[in-house]
Amino acid sequence: MASTSAQDELILVEKAGGVRKFILNRPRQLNALSRKMISQLLQLFLACMDDHMVKLVIVKGNGRAFSAGGDAASVAHDIIKGNWTSSAAFFHNCFSLTYLLATYSKPQVTQSAMLLILIVSILNGIVMGGGAGVSIHGRFRVATENSVFAMPETALGLFPDVGASYFLSRLPGFFGEYVGLTGTRLDGAEMLACGLATHFVSSEKLPALEEALCRANSSDPALISAIINGFSQQPYLKDESAFHQLDVIDRCFSKRTIGGILLAVEKEAVKCSDEWISAALKSLRTASPMSLKLSLRSVLIREGRLQGIGQCVVREYRMICNVLKGEISKDFVEAKSSVFILQGCRSIFFDKDKNPKWNPSKFNQISESMVDRHFLKLDDEGWEDLKLPPRFNLPAHAIAKL
Amino acid sequence: MASSSSSSVDQVSRRTQILTNHLNQSGFAPYSSSSSSTSLEFSACINFSPPELSERIEFDTKEMRKLLDAHNLEDRDWLYGLMRQSNLFNPRKLGGRVFVWPDYNQSMEQQREMTMKRIGYMIDRGVFEGWLTAQGPEAKLRKLALMEVIGIFDHSLSVKLGVHFMLWGGAIQFFGTKRHHDKWLRATENYAVKGCFAMSELGHGSNVRGIETVTTYDSKTEEFVINTPCESAQKYWIGGAANHATHTVVFSQLNINGKNQGVHAFIAQIRDLDGNICPNIRIADCGHKIGLNGVDNGRIWFDNARIPRENLLNSVADVSPDGQYLSSIKDPDQRFAAFLAPLTSGRVNITVNAVYSAKISLAIAIRYALTRRAFSVAPNEPEMLLLDYPSHQRRLLPLLAKTYAMSFAANYLKFLYVNRTPELNKAIHVVSSAFKAATTWHNMKTLQECREACGGQGLKTENRIGHMKAEYDVQSTFEGDNNVLMQQISKALFGEYIAAKKGNKLFKGLGLEHLNKSCPVTASQLTSSTLRCSQFQTDVFCLRERDLLNRFVAEVSEHQAQGKNKEYAFILSYQIAQDLGRAFSDRAILQTFTEAERALTGGPLKEILGHVRSMYALITLEEDSSFLRYGYLSTDHVAAVRKEVTKLCSELRSHALALVDSFGIPDAFLSPIAFNWLESNSWSSVQQQLGGTTFASAI
Repeated sequence: MASTSAQDELILVEKAGGVRKFILNRPRQLNALSRKMISQLLQLFLACMDDHMVKLVIVKGNGRAFSAGGDAASVAHDIIKGNWTSSAAFFHNCFSLTYLLATYSKPQVTQSAMLLILIVSILNGIVMGGGAGVSIHGRFRVATENSVFAMPETALGLFPDVGASYFLSRLPGFFGEYVGLTGTRLDGAEMLACGLATHFVSSEKLPALEEALCRANSSDPALISAIINGFSQQPYLKDESAFHQLDVIDRCFSKRTIGGILLAVEKEAVKCSDEWISAALKSLRTASPMSLKLSLRSVLIREGRLQGIGQCVVREYRMICNVLKGEISKDFVEAKSSVFILQGCRSIFFDKDKNPKWNPSKFNQISESMVDRHFLKLDDEGWEDLKLPPRFNLPAHAIAKL
Repeated sequence: MASSSSSSVDQVSRRTQILTNHLNQSGFAPYSSSSSSTSLEFSACINFSPPELSERIEFDTKEMRKLLDAHNLEDRDWLYGLMRQSNLFNPRKLGGRVFVWPDYNQSMEQQREMTMKRIGYMIDRGVFEGWLTAQGPEAKLRKLALMEVIGIFDHSLSVKLGVHFMLWGGAIQFFGTKRHHDKWLRATENYAVKGCFAMSELGHGSNVRGIETVTTYDSKTEEFVINTPCESAQKYWIGGAANHATHTVVFSQLNINGKNQGVHAFIAQIRDLDGNICPNIRIADCGHKIGLNGVDNGRIWFDNARIPRENLLNSVADVSPDGQYLSSIKDPDQRFAAFLAPLTSGRVNITVNAVYSAKISLAIAIRYALTRRAFSVAPNEPEMLLLDYPSHQRRLLPLLAKTYAMSFAANYLKFLYVNRTPELNKAIHVVSSAFKAATTWHNMKTLQECREACGGQGLKTENRIGHMKAEYDVQSTFEGDNNVLMQQISKALFGEYIAAKKGNKLFKGLGLEHLNKSCPVTASQLTSSTLRCSQFQTDVFCLRERDLLNRFVAEVSEHQAQGKNKEYAFILSYQIAQDLGRAFSDRAILQTFTEAERALTGGPLKEILGHVRSMYALITLEEDSSFLRYGYLSTDHVAAVRKEVTKLCSELRSHALALVDSFGIPDAFLSPIAFNWLESNSWSSVQQQLGGTTFASAI
């Protein structure tokens, strides 16, 4: 297990008593998660589980981002080379890590309160896509005034993954559909309001908070919560926030089909001129139609809401492999090969005028069976369903339900 | 259940050990920050172990769910999600999971208001789109699927909607003509009007033709005048009438120029749009009930209330402006039959709902039986899981098999109904009567057994089963009393028999074709493989039906020969009528099961369904005394059947979890004892929040 703190390490590890700090250290790429980082994180978290000393893990990012997501550049590179299985392996690790974090603090599984390890993620900056996967599933998520959260996958020909079908579908009402389909950005106050964050701490107090957590050296959730509470404040939820309009969001985004949602959003946009609703409409119109269908009908409404985290990542893995293989729709592959994305999610910050051509380009060109096929196992030789980390010596179906 | 009494010393020392462990438990006070317990040794305190950890899943439960739910799976899941995501559906977090069920501790008035609020929420989200205005089987199946999901949340909600859409809306659709459709269907679908259905009276329930409300026609004003002539004619149990309904369909005798033309249906407004009761209408509440308190049942009196001539639902008969009675069907008996035939949708709905209710209770009771232990077989051994007791298996697993069988039966009925043609009306009437009685009786039996199987936990409202007994009891009464329905089936079969014999024709329809063949002969020795053979099972069910029909015809004829009229002869033959009704239902249900099985090409799904079907068939042989009474089976046969049932119990035991998982009911719609009941009952659960949330624990 790597524990040096040299500046060129991708993940810095700091130890203080029973507390471990994992610091994502790829600031120039906004801490986009490379293959190496994912597998290192996986190893680090697994090692902590065997280490009875460890009580608390703090995860944070170096620089102005927590993490802008999975390293799409390398995935794109593989696909252009025709090597989709190598990308699949990347997602395999990514989702395994997600699952590990989501089930990290389940005392009844580890049988003893002594083995409870808490994860505190400090989200002082950009949290997108894969970045959410390594933070939102933990017990405590601390947002700051610098936090920017988004699941921008539908604009990239993908769908919200890393367990997003699990955590988005559990947001209040149909806020999760709104966030997942439009890829809208939330600030720290909004993250706290909707439950993506558990606390809001001003960034200037973060060093003191970390110090206090190290000093506490405890895995008692009540105590840790009380400590973070001590540094927390109630942020001001901006007037124009969509979260104030939950009833409108519920009305629009609870519709059964993406067509129904689009129609409802269009109607609302005529009625009111709020910034968020016209932005939502624009996102929905420019996103990949296949992505939207996959995300909504299948991920958020049909499956995610009714499944455990294990089932969610297993399903997402099947879907991502089908997308990567690109036989049903080539949106993700196209988006990548047209160098729509340069580094991680930078494009949506800096290259706003890119205009990808989706195929199929209209909802009515997408049959139900095309969507259905994304949920099937691949019949490629050697391909297997996501194997969840064998930490409990249990068959996969059992782990999936927990 | 077994309890060992061998070594009392062992028991005492074991108890001491357990008590010591209890006392030494740290973390008893959840806020103590000192984690003093450093020992990691085995604790004798009971740990919850999810059944998923120990049970094997040997077939694809998703595929099984597709067979059971049969249609509109995504629409169902969408609606489950809609309910789960709204505070209106009363989500409660227990043991780290969210459960939804109505707050039955609210007053009757509050529950009724919540029902309306939930309906409002679903209107806004387009749940009812096309329920009355869309055409074709697909739209009907979507409506039925969504009704089923709603029923899984709350019976009141589904009954309230059933009255508005199926009864009021259905009456306009089927009894009305274009002018009514144009005026009312769209308005009903978006709840611009709230409808109810005033058929039963204090003095007349099942016997609709005997109702006493009278309507006359005033040609001067071209109005009908509806009157409640006596107290026994007050409309009774009218769902929606007590608080919310603005309009009703009124069933009444139509008296034209002093001549009674029989029962007809009219539309009458009973409240204005502000909710004030209209002039010449009186309404009273039926009051608090043993269940279904989310439905506002009321009583209505009409004091010569006037309605326009156009409000007669005139699909079979009309009255001209000058007061002439016009009908294409001259015979009042036939007219009445044609009139009511399309109203079977209610029974279809009840049948399906009863099956889903049984599914909920079995899913809960079986999951609990896979996590709850009681008594050790030997000292110092861990206690045994409830479902490992053969007696517990025998209590629950046959009910599970019956529920599977009735699931296929209900699906068959649904598809028959949505694809119906006028020629099929009679068959649908008979089959829906049979299945409605069979499934609702089965449901009540299942609920009681599951309640008892959960012990004290079954008594908590939050665990649903016990409360559902009161909620679903009404099913054996409304839309036709089960016993009356059984007699109607026998009468219909009698009619088929006479028609076939008189016309020297073959039996056709209702699955009676087997009567055209020679009488099946069953083996004298019943081996295990014979008993599990679907041909044997079908044969013995057919044998019973054939023989009972012959006996019934003979007995009715004998009574008639003694000079009694046909109706009275039927009444006197009630015992065989009852047996025959059951024989018909059981055979029809088995038939739908074997057909569903035949559609599968093989594999683990087909194999497990074979076991379930055998269990259904054999438990019927074991439980229904008519097999012994009339000698279709000997006492030796019945002993062999009984032995086989025990074997099947232990075989199905290993699939129990997978079989209830296949019901596809989301966790939130089951109950806390179906999951980690130690955690949901823990002190920290009492204290609600420990600070911080994981999405993993927010399921």
